[in-house]
Amino acid sequence: MTGSNQENGKTMDCAEFQDRLPELFESGNDLSKEEHLKGCENCAALVRDLEYIAQQAKLLLPLHDPSPNVWSNIQSAIQNNGDQTAKH
Amino acid sequence: MNAGQAPPKPANQHMRRNPPIAGEAEAIASAQAGDARSFETLYALHKRRVYSLCLRMLGNVAEAEDLTQEAFLQLYRKIGTFRGDSAFSTWLHRLSVNVVLMHLRKKGLPQVSLEETLEPSQEDGPRKDIGARDLTLSGSIDRVTLERAVENLPPGYRLVFVLHDIEGYEHNEIADMLACSIGNSKSQLHKARMKLRELLRTGERKEPAA
Repeated sequence: MTGSNQENGKTMDCAEFQDRLPELFESGNDLSKEEHLKGCENCAALVRDLEYIAQQAKLLLPLHDPSPNVWSNIQSAIQNNGDQTAKH
Repeated sequence: MNAGQAPPKPANQHMRRNPPIAGEAEAIASAQAGDARSFETLYALHKRRVYSLCLRMLGNVAEAEDLTQEAFLQLYRKIGTFRGDSAFSTWLHRLSVNVVLMHLRKKGLPQVSLEETLEPSQEDGPRKDIGARDLTLSGSIDRVTLERAVENLPPGYRLVFVLHDIEGYEHNEIADMLACSIGNSKSQLHKARMKLRELLRTGERKEPAA
């Protein structure tokens, strides 16, 4: 019964902790000091992963150049616009 | 510090990606005076970033190219209004984000409606991780894998994730751009990261079998 209670208690703690996670992340505090994480490897791994994803995202660089058609179309549009303006 | 109170962050965090570019100031001044070659220089300097932003927000090459074109045409029309209050790339970037958001609003399809995409269906949403056996991602994902996972995010999650985590906009700026609350932006970002974790872990499990 004690084990079951502890298990239930831990499950509740995890749910509550994960509900608070968006706010905790935005707080800018060091989450490793959160009491719950000291005893819960599952939530600790979750936090590590989410922090890692956010860190990796910051390192993503611009991908590729657009095709040369994009510049051709821009030039044409500017040219057409200039022609129309000149007519008016 | 109160856990609910975020510490002040540097203003315009996305400026970290906007270092001064040699020759840019001269090109801006000349383009403002109507010099076509200088406008082409500005295009060459910024096309990759603008295109990447469009592609990440839209997840579609043809649309991304169309909107890159539209962003630079708007730049051509509006460059005279640039006064240098922020970095040029920051200004152009914001202009490009607005072009994409305008496109998404006009399109009005369910998958791009901001109202709907900011509240993805339960099936699309991230699940809580209570009691799950964990694989830790740390150190195991490369950029290509992460890019692919971002592409697979539901559109609403992807928008907020791209704007905040990749492009460095603050929640108040995103809330302003997307016409949602700051709390909504924070919540969507968290859900996006949770969903990404799920996608990345699923990918990890599938890879050895492939």
